[in-house]
Amino acid sequence: MSELAISVNRLTKVYGDVLAVNRLDLSVPRGSIYGFLGRNGAGKTSTIKMLLGLTRPTSGSAHVLGMDILASRMPILRRTAFVSEKKTLPPSLTPSELVRFSRGFYPTWLDQAVEKYARLLEIPMNQRFERLSNGNQTKVFLLLALAQGAELLILDEPTTALDPVSVDQLLRVLAADAADRGTTVFFSSHQLEEVEQIAEYVGMVEGGRLLMESRLDDVKNDFRVITAAGSNLPRETNSQVLSVEVKDNFYRYVITKDGEGYAGDLAQNGATVTHVAPLSLREIFLELVRKEKLCTSGNAGETPVLSSSSS
Amino acid sequence: MYLWKCWRDTRSFFLVFLIGAAIVMPVAALVCKGTGLVEEFGANAFQSTFGLILVAVALGLAAIGAIHEFGDKTAHFLFTKPRSRAYFVWVSWSVGLGELLAIAAVNFLAGWLTLLRFSKNPLHSPVFGPVTSQQLVEGLIMAIYTYSLAYSLTAILRSGLKGLGAAMGIVFGLPFLAIAVRWRWHINLPIPTSPIGNLSLVASDLTWTFVALLFVFIAQIVIERGEV
Repeated sequence: MSELAISVNRLTKVYGDVLAVNRLDLSVPRGSIYGFLGRNGAGKTSTIKMLLGLTRPTSGSAHVLGMDILASRMPILRRTAFVSEKKTLPPSLTPSELVRFSRGFYPTWLDQAVEKYARLLEIPMNQRFERLSNGNQTKVFLLLALAQGAELLILDEPTTALDPVSVDQLLRVLAADAADRGTTVFFSSHQLEEVEQIAEYVGMVEGGRLLMESRLDDVKNDFRVITAAGSNLPRETNSQVLSVEVKDNFYRYVITKDGEGYAGDLAQNGATVTHVAPLSLREIFLELVRKEKLCTSGNAGETPVLSSSSS
Repeated sequence: MYLWKCWRDTRSFFLVFLIGAAIVMPVAALVCKGTGLVEEFGANAFQSTFGLILVAVALGLAAIGAIHEFGDKTAHFLFTKPRSRAYFVWVSWSVGLGELLAIAAVNFLAGWLTLLRFSKNPLHSPVFGPVTSQQLVEGLIMAIYTYSLAYSLTAILRSGLKGLGAAMGIVFGLPFLAIAVRWRWHINLPIPTSPIGNLSLVASDLTWTFVALLFVFIAQIVIERGEV
């Protein structure tokens, strides 16, 4: 059995003139919670659609639960639950009726999960879907996905239009389900603080390309921002130095690994290191996206993709 | 369970159409009471309205049924269920067809019972002669043809309005096109559901039914290959 719940290899999707996904590689370990991050239009939804067979890749390959997405669509769908970015369901059906409809498709369906999550998420089960609030509509999606008893949960922007209380509720439920049943949770988002709350792994995409994929703890431990004062300090970026900003004699470095070591090197070169601090996921994401934009404006395709700092 | 969902999605429209089909002849007979119109023209009017009502119902049921299942907003929900898209296409089509046939049966029964009150031979007009079973079958096949066409176009275009419009354009425009072609090039185009060339009536009816099924098959192919 493959150790990866999702394995993506140079996956590409082109819609007309638009390159939505560009030679994307992903590795999602089984039983993990994986945050798939990117701005709007970064290629997250297109990737998810390909994984679920809703759209076909232009090139590349992908495996879900060890099965090829093109050859094994039905077995994948049987073992995978999906919460779509479009939170629309047949409007005249009630959540109870949606449960009744969905149950028949999945041999692993968990009736007790329906009761549990309906109560926990306070979903009005007998109200027509179209009359539910946005928050409750999203919760119905989640309820249907969780009750499926799936091995893999794919959620596309699950927290869109939710209030902070509902977001918190939803994240707790996801984390608990992953912990209880060992479900793999793969969720896309551009709400970085939410991802930071529960994700163990993160993958960041921009312009359909992978910027970084790593264990979240490693990202937080490795990335550092260093401010230093001095003259003629290094200005070059490389695999360790993500970006350098210079203003007068003050330098701001974003370092991808061994920040303390780099600060020591700067000090040896005569710099006065004033600050070495970790970055939040949000800051890391912004730095990576900015770097990507700088690179792709003049030399598309030349951007170095940061490899996983560890796995 | 999917069968149930299709029924659940369309049942309110079905009931409205069913009631309409059930009362149209009795109401018409009530309005015309004492004029003698029902006795003289009732059978013929019934034969005409039978086909027209069914075509109208077919258009409505097709657009409603298909858009509920294959509309842009909800297709992702359906197509991430572990069943083939062909299954969804044919089951949803079958439910609508069942409803259409039920409405046809009720419409026929209501018409026949109404005319029975005015004549011992309800399907015979003293002015136009008898209403033949072939005329009624033609009306029914026209409804199935229209239903399948509208259903397929709605599913392919993923829009109730566009599907309905395109189907109406074809159903009502084709006779005019056939007339124009005959006038200009002296070629007889087959018009649904009239006899085709030298084929017998039964063979023609079967051919038109086959054409109706072909529309659904084409929709299945397009949906299977389509992206959501």
